[in-house]
Amino acid sequence: MIQSKYHRFLTGAFASLASIAVLAGSAAAQQAVNKGGTLIYLEQQPHTNLYPPAGGFYPNGGVLNQITDKLTYQNPKTLEIEPWIAESWTVNADATEYTFKIRPGVTFSDGTPLDAAAVAKNFDTYGLGNKDLKQPVSEVITNYKGSEVVDPLTVKFFFTKPSVGFLQGTSVIGSGLVSLKTLALPFDALGDATKIIGSGPFVVKSEVLGRELVMEARKDYKWGPAKLAHQGRANLDGIKYVVTPEDSVRIGALLAGQAHVIRQVQAYDEKQVQSKGFIIYAAPTRGVNNSVVFRPDNPLVSDIRVRKALLHATNAKEIVATLFSANYPQAKSIIASTAQGYVDQSAKLAYDPALAARLLDEAGWTIGPKGLRQKDGKELVLQAYESPPQPQNKETLQLVAQQWAKVGVKLNVLAGDAGSRVADNLDPMKTPVAPAMVGRADPDVIRSQYYPTTRNVLMQKGGVSTKVQNFTDGKLNALLEEIAAATDPVKRLALVGEVQAYVIDQGYTIPIFEEPQAFAASPKVKDFTFEAVGRPSFYATWISK
Amino acid sequence: MVRYLLGRVGQALAVLALTFTAAFLLLQVLPGDAIMIKFMSPDMGLTADQIAEIRASYGADRPLWERYFTTVGNFLTGNFGISIQAGVPVSQQLATNLPPTLLLASLAFAAALILTILLASLSNMVGMEWLRAGLQSLPSLFISVPVFWLGIMLIQIFSFQLGLVSVISPGPVEKLVLPVLTLAIPISAPLAQILMRNIDQVLAQPFVAVARAKGASRNWVLWRHVARNAIMPTLTIAGVLFGELLAGAVVTEAVFGLSGLGGLTYQAVGNHDTAVLQAIVVISALAFVTINLIVDLLYPVLDPRLGSRSGAPA
Repeated sequence: MIQSKYHRFLTGAFASLASIAVLAGSAAAQQAVNKGGTLIYLEQQPHTNLYPPAGGFYPNGGVLNQITDKLTYQNPKTLEIEPWIAESWTVNADATEYTFKIRPGVTFSDGTPLDAAAVAKNFDTYGLGNKDLKQPVSEVITNYKGSEVVDPLTVKFFFTKPSVGFLQGTSVIGSGLVSLKTLALPFDALGDATKIIGSGPFVVKSEVLGRELVMEARKDYKWGPAKLAHQGRANLDGIKYVVTPEDSVRIGALLAGQAHVIRQVQAYDEKQVQSKGFIIYAAPTRGVNNSVVFRPDNPLVSDIRVRKALLHATNAKEIVATLFSANYPQAKSIIASTAQGYVDQSAKLAYDPALAARLLDEAGWTIGPKGLRQKDGKELVLQAYESPPQPQNKETLQLVAQQWAKVGVKLNVLAGDAGSRVADNLDPMKTPVAPAMVGRADPDVIRSQYYPTTRNVLMQKGGVSTKVQNFTDGKLNALLEEIAAATDPVKRLALVGEVQAYVIDQGYTIPIFEEPQAFAASPKVKDFTFEAVGRPSFYATWISK
Repeated sequence: MVRYLLGRVGQALAVLALTFTAAFLLLQVLPGDAIMIKFMSPDMGLTADQIAEIRASYGADRPLWERYFTTVGNFLTGNFGISIQAGVPVSQQLATNLPPTLLLASLAFAAALILTILLASLSNMVGMEWLRAGLQSLPSLFISVPVFWLGIMLIQIFSFQLGLVSVISPGPVEKLVLPVLTLAIPISAPLAQILMRNIDQVLAQPFVAVARAKGASRNWVLWRHVARNAIMPTLTIAGVLFGELLAGAVVTEAVFGLSGLGGLTYQAVGNHDTAVLQAIVVISALAFVTINLIVDLLYPVLDPRLGSRSGAPA
């Protein structure tokens, strides 16, 4: 059938990444845009608090990306920062002062102007937090000092130390601009989507908490990112978000024509969707790969030889082939091949059980009577909690456990409730191993992932956890600090390359695969696009007849 | 009778107070809490100091007894607190989720009763032995069908294959047909089992033979004498089954994507959202206590012997 061949071609092309925007653009050129209609979108989980800096959670980002605009737009293809609400900007030499010129005539959906004062108030809140209203600071804004409204359309930001990541930080989901009325509400009121007043192409019209959300296009919207092909108001009249937790019901509803787009399609369901002529969109998240990390504070994995042995005992290729699909490329470094500053490390990541066994022998871990390695009467038994938001994470860890068992190391995969998981994950003695992943299209993501005072995946001393005894890696932290401070983009990317090599050389992380955000859509849905790390954008989307 | 009623209401209140306290203590014993899950998760990227400030702002750093009395005071004044995960007041969540669950549960319960009576009476009126055996074994089948499987099957067949009802954007009645059926079938099973066995037992009693000997038809005896005697234990079980109904609602609401207490509970348990769970436990306890009170008050109405015993001075 011609139809299905075309779709297979299309899907294959999508899987080959990066070309999403181009393809969607050329497909649109062949057919006249059909305006109007309501798109039905099925989400797996209800959104939580919609305070924009908490937008990292994908269900939140899916809502916020439609209703808020950002100061700048990160082109998902080139990853360059382009104008959006800011028409232009300047940065001083040591990246401690940023000046933005605001586009005139932009309003929030409550009618108030989106001007320099509003932008200043947004970033003052995200950069410093608001204790009275319990609004926390944003992860992506570091060293923030304050703002100055130069004139109604010019705003200036000051930083205590160089903050190179700030420009990209203004483009991310967590930096969505909201009305002063929204910022005046306490944090605990922002779980109600109708209270989030943005300037975006859609406005939340009504919501049934935890169940569904109706958005309407803003008729007077005319300030989309300047370089986008689509301009003016959104093509759709509205979007209806429906929370449908059950996988089979989401897929069944899509195939039965009751929905247009669904989020979260597991790899094993892809064939079923594609065989019916529907399209899988696997948007890259361009950040830190889906990985297994060690907490060297735990004496069991404090020896580099043990960590490297387990790295070589892990067969990422088998994991991808067994559990995933072509949309989940095998990792070649700790960050995705679509991430900025990526350097191929695959030569150091080879699956080599013989080498693994030798390294463990050298480290003094010998095979005991039960087939388990032991040293001084202690067995090499490790634990890790599964991470439910990551695709098939339990299965992934179980497969890793099987692979490690072949060299005499036991990995217990724990399920546990959220409370125990969070608490135990802060204690390296309880979790010498942990799964990790984060999406963000800026070199800063690598610093954020490893630095002690941020995500601190290796559980170094100096972070949130009080359980860490003494593990710190001064060399790694110095490199990470340099990334945050380097103002020269070339040098910054070189540092990112150095960190990748260093982390692998130390055996801190075992990268498994590049994680996509998987969506499925009806073939009638056109120009369905994504921001740089895989959150859906329905601004240009339309439904063909 | 008034004294009996007052006594029972007093008992009910005591049960509520105990449930409240037990739930509060148990929720505190669990490792971690909602604030930790929300703010210590790496997604928020907060520092230890910032987290400590947030804990203080929620009063989570206060001693246990102080938090207990604050919570008691708040509940008595109708303030159920805030859902830390969802970022909305619990009362707002309850306003959205309580009515649909009450509607679903009561409709499913009514449907289950109808199904039970239908099964029990059909199996006793049918002449053919094989059909009777078939009908009598249906409850065992119903009881072993998992709710989520049944729900998914009903959706696949009636919505996705036959296109009779929409699951994603249904009308107000359309929305309830499949969920009510999904929930009613497993609830009706134990009811029907008990009712059928009791009918058999009552039918074997000598007074039935006497009634038949006096010329009453089988059906007349069944409806006038047997049913009334057989229904009592069924009623007791019906009161207890309310818990089953809530548990079933969790699964049913998740499968059909309905808003309701079930889905709310599921989310709150996952995130240790203590304020939400505390409110749900109290509401469930209230429902349990009320239903059992109603059942107890119904006994004397159905069986005058019980009425005289509780009503007359000892």
